[in-house]
Amino acid sequence: MTDLTTLGIAEAGRLMARGELTSTALTDAFLTRIAAVDHKIASYVAVTADDARNAARQADMEMQGGLRRGPLHGIPLALKDIYETAGVKTTGHSHLKIDYVPAIDAASVRKLKEAGAVMLGKLGTHEFANGAMTPDQPFPPVLNPWNTKYQPGGSSSGSGAAVAAALCMGAMGSDTGGSIRNPAGYCATAGIKPTYGLVSRCGIFPLAFSLDTAGPLAWTTEDCALILGALAGHDPNDQGSAKTEKVDYGAAAQRPIKGMRIALAREWYEGPDGQLSPDMAKGMEDAVRVFRDVGAVVEDVTFPDVRDYHICGRVIITTEAHAIHRRDVIERPEKFGYTTRRRFQLGAFISAEQYISALRFRRKLHQDTREAMRGYDLVMTANHWGAPEIFEEPQQIFHFLGKPSLTMPFNVTGQPAATVCCGFGADGMPLAFQLAGRAFDEASVFAAGAAYERATPWRQRRPQL
Amino acid sequence: MPSSIKAPTLEEFRARAALTGLTLTEEDIGHLHKGYVGLLGLMERIPQRWAWAAEPPLVFRADE
Repeated sequence: MTDLTTLGIAEAGRLMARGELTSTALTDAFLTRIAAVDHKIASYVAVTADDARNAARQADMEMQGGLRRGPLHGIPLALKDIYETAGVKTTGHSHLKIDYVPAIDAASVRKLKEAGAVMLGKLGTHEFANGAMTPDQPFPPVLNPWNTKYQPGGSSSGSGAAVAAALCMGAMGSDTGGSIRNPAGYCATAGIKPTYGLVSRCGIFPLAFSLDTAGPLAWTTEDCALILGALAGHDPNDQGSAKTEKVDYGAAAQRPIKGMRIALAREWYEGPDGQLSPDMAKGMEDAVRVFRDVGAVVEDVTFPDVRDYHICGRVIITTEAHAIHRRDVIERPEKFGYTTRRRFQLGAFISAEQYISALRFRRKLHQDTREAMRGYDLVMTANHWGAPEIFEEPQQIFHFLGKPSLTMPFNVTGQPAATVCCGFGADGMPLAFQLAGRAFDEASVFAAGAAYERATPWRQRRPQL
Repeated sequence: MPSSIKAPTLEEFRARAALTGLTLTEEDIGHLHKGYVGLLGLMERIPQRWAWAAEPPLVFRADE
């Protein structure tokens, strides 16, 4: 049998269903690998080994007794440390929450457990899913497993690094402006920001209520589909939760995409504010060619300017994050990292009129994007501009003053958006593109992402640690 | 129509910061001034004049 830690979720599930693999063996393989290599990248802030082994034994007993909960039964996953977990510290990577032990699980954690998943532990994050990783925080920064001198992207840094380094089979992240897709892209994993409202945020530390989403990162698009299948659904305790039909995302990932129409938002990454690195530009061209080869129609389409989405989302995040953290930045500012504190303070200077204008602008961008998508199933664009930043101090306080975010458009519109690895640059660092669907059409996103992965060799390469 | 808010000088920004209720060091104010001026520049792209009844997206529902 191959190394258990590089099995896909579907494959592991098939082996367990045939009695050829136990969850206990699978979980032990991950715990052993975490103990052996995680000190090189610091992706975990806490490993819950005893709980994991107990859950794995429970899963094995259930499966031996004929109970099969679904594709996540017995599958080892991990959680960004902003997901509340009963009896386990949930710190948000911050001194402010360093001793916080929730009494109950976040709704999404509860769903994963009900699906039979095994929780390996909690993963490093940018502080409260916003600040950069700085030395004044309680845990060391997560490093990129492809090259530890580079950042892994954030804010779901540990989730991207742990999945890429085969330290879990999938991980939960959150995405308010790109926090699932950035680390997925920089660490060469798959990841999906679901449609706003598809997955409950109840019990997850908020950053910006009107943009926050929760979703998975995994090695393949198909694995993300299997995890999302356990997460999607209405939650009356989440104000933004939508009532939607149940969809078999795993089946969707097997769908052919011949005839699918993809709108390429090329102007976003060839616009006045920046050009992709040569490697990323080549990766995008090659990816477009692959989609055409497998029968999709890819055409350049003009969308609203990427800088419009960038500033719209940034004003909303800055204002809402300030409102959420205002008391702490007044009463205990020294407890925050030096980037987080300033990012949360900035919202105090934004007027009500400016915030409402950004919200109104959001509605206009949503409508204009939908109009531009007319006649197309998906939007395709680059995931990031080039190689991730190198670790250096001091970290940039206001990161939004650089190039516009390529991920923010789909936070502003609320559409589902996935990251798919499309190769590696000359420096060995991952390249990636995004696929975005219409609201609640994650199925088309998974179909296209999985078809691309089946047609290319990129899922065969793993980082060496 | 885009925003035409004039970027504040550091002195003007310091005076405004004193009204926010935040506890700020001189270093904080320097960083925040730079960030705010940068944000204002980017906000030129956001129209400031809307139909008076243009309603932003809401999540409030009265049936809950």
